[in-house]
Amino acid sequence: MTRLQDTAEEAAFRDRLRNWLAENTPTVAKHDVAGLKAWQKKLYEAGWLGLTWPADYGGQGLTFREQAIFNQESARAKVPPSINNIGLMIAGPALIAVASEEQKTRYLRPMLTAEEIWCQGFSEPNAGSDLAALQTRAVSDGDHYVITGQKIWTSNSLIADYIWLLVRTDPDAPRHKGITALVVDMKSPGVTVKPLRQLTGEAEFGEVFFDEVRVPKANRVGAENDGWVIGMKTFTRERANISISLSVRLQQQFDRLLQAVRGRDVPLDAQCARKVAQAYVDSECLTLTCERLADRLFGFESSVVKVAWAEMNQRLQELGLDTLGPDAPLLPGRGFEESAESTATWGTEALAEGGESFEKSWQFGYLRSRANTIEGGTSEILRSVIAERVLGLPRK
Amino acid sequence: MDFSLTDEQRMLRDSARDFLSTEWPIAELRRMLDASDAADASSELWRKTVDLGWPGLLVPEDYDGLGLGMFDLVVLMEEAGQHLIPGTLHSSGVLAALSLGTLGDGDAKQRYLPQVAEGALKATVGVYDPNSGWTTALLGGSANGAVSKRFVPEAGDADLVLVVHKTSGNDVELAIAHDAEVTNLHSMDVTRPLFQVKCQSKNLERVGSGTLADLQSVLDRAAIALSAEMVGGAARVLAMTVEYVKDRKQFGRAVATFQAVQHKAADMLIEIEKARTAVHYAAAAADEQPEKLGEVASIAKVAANAAFVEASQKGVQLHGGIGFTWEQDLHLYLKRAKACEFTYGDSTWHLDRVAHLLGVS
Repeated sequence: MTRLQDTAEEAAFRDRLRNWLAENTPTVAKHDVAGLKAWQKKLYEAGWLGLTWPADYGGQGLTFREQAIFNQESARAKVPPSINNIGLMIAGPALIAVASEEQKTRYLRPMLTAEEIWCQGFSEPNAGSDLAALQTRAVSDGDHYVITGQKIWTSNSLIADYIWLLVRTDPDAPRHKGITALVVDMKSPGVTVKPLRQLTGEAEFGEVFFDEVRVPKANRVGAENDGWVIGMKTFTRERANISISLSVRLQQQFDRLLQAVRGRDVPLDAQCARKVAQAYVDSECLTLTCERLADRLFGFESSVVKVAWAEMNQRLQELGLDTLGPDAPLLPGRGFEESAESTATWGTEALAEGGESFEKSWQFGYLRSRANTIEGGTSEILRSVIAERVLGLPRK
Repeated sequence: MDFSLTDEQRMLRDSARDFLSTEWPIAELRRMLDASDAADASSELWRKTVDLGWPGLLVPEDYDGLGLGMFDLVVLMEEAGQHLIPGTLHSSGVLAALSLGTLGDGDAKQRYLPQVAEGALKATVGVYDPNSGWTTALLGGSANGAVSKRFVPEAGDADLVLVVHKTSGNDVELAIAHDAEVTNLHSMDVTRPLFQVKCQSKNLERVGSGTLADLQSVLDRAAIALSAEMVGGAARVLAMTVEYVKDRKQFGRAVATFQAVQHKAADMLIEIEKARTAVHYAAAAADEQPEKLGEVASIAKVAANAAFVEASQKGVQLHGGIGFTWEQDLHLYLKRAKACEFTYGDSTWHLDRVAHLLGVS
């Protein structure tokens, strides 16, 4: 049997995709929201999105294999970033798993076409790793909930149309049992969003405030007080999807490192060359592990890959930065310093001159990668998940 | 890419698992090490593995072997590594079978491969010489009247001791070392003795030849097979450790509930999963894309070194005081890990090769 080659069907799919990408991939700036939406719509119309989603809701009904090929080929073609990634990778799969027929029909297709952008409201200032401590309240009022509270670290919140939200509906129940999942229109009265400036200087996340926001009960996903289990399903999907797509990006980052190293006037010393080789070994092991464990990645095994990926990317970015020698701490394009307020969001066109070159620099990559071991589950929490859920060690 | 096992491979794995659990529990290994009938226990196991056809797994069917591939082999070797089986399966069934198959001339294959496959002959091969290390390009010849090889596995007990040395520029010769002087090097892994083999040039009987690249392909495949055993050993250490920390109570609770313990165990699993992937991928590439053999073998060996050495060190640590005792089995795995780490090149050697292949050194 052959293992390393595509099957005939996979090869045909890959060929068709590669040709299509070669002809259709545009150049779109990271902050050009309209351009990025148009690109996603184009992908959808050509049948390249929602590959594993059911055909009834605009998906293609294919398998993880095709999704993996799509990830590989789109990375190779250097396609623009996915503007609705929170919808496509997190909210969409969660809705497919648990939402009503009516909700799936209503939300999934516009998510695929990027006509409606999604964000996810889980973390709160006092509920990070300990998500079950979330306090955003939803009080029942006839056929509505009235929501008051705050979410934080919300990617895409400044451009989102909908938020996939966890709220507390029963403050008296044990804390895992009083949580409910909702879909909330971001244009609802009482919703405000503030950019959250991070240590890189930019703001890809926001803080979302809810001040007596009225949400129809029809927007509840699953049963009342059933939100914790639904949220957990979202999490394993988030980690699996992050792992799969980022392992592809990791290879791109490694190629970038290779170019940087080969372009040097002074060859690397043996110790540094070994670090680059070790990064290659780790990147190959990780990418292939995603493929080997594909069937199990929607379970707790996703934590294995997430921890390894996050630490690997940090090592790789640091290695890239170190290749610059004493220039390492100098900010290309002067970072975001000159444009503190205006660069803060997705969708602001006033990005400072040089902002783009900063985002492509090792300096930015190094600083941004510090979040990798925090976002989507800290490495500490995930190691406990691995110990307890995969290895079966007791918690108490 | 498809990492799933075929039905036949699943059967091979399951039957190996059953056989080894019954026939070669760690207690048997300890009996072999401690008792005066040591050789008997080991040869009894050897006889049974011969009945299962294991030494002939890689030998082509034309020479009475099973004619299977590297992926089949690593499935078996992972199980073998769990049980720390003695070294003859590797030295004869892998290293010698591959050397004869790749470098042996027609007569030698005809004469020796069926005997290796049927276990009638326990063979081994010496490659490493004091000047070359594992770098085949630096291999010495026999011009000064003798060859001297180090780290020759199982040579003390072998019926057929082969050596590989350089004849000219790019060419090597495979030869039987008759009347060789065989000295035990006393490896810390007493379950896998290593020997020095010295042989006068006049006592070398040439049985094959090839290029340095041919020899490297033998060593790379042997390294992949060894890496599979290492992954199995690491997985076994993790399983033993998980059981122990669940049982052991301190401060009125199982030590498994402490995060410092949990996180070490999680790290062991992460490294093992990465190494298992690397070994399976390397074996598949060896079968299907031999042009990638050097790179994938190095990736597998680096990953397996990290997984096994780390796992056995952390395993000792998480067992606490009992892990430091002779009575506990962990030290057998720790010593196996350390001995395997340097066989066919340590991680520094392999990273240098990867760096070279990537064009960064």
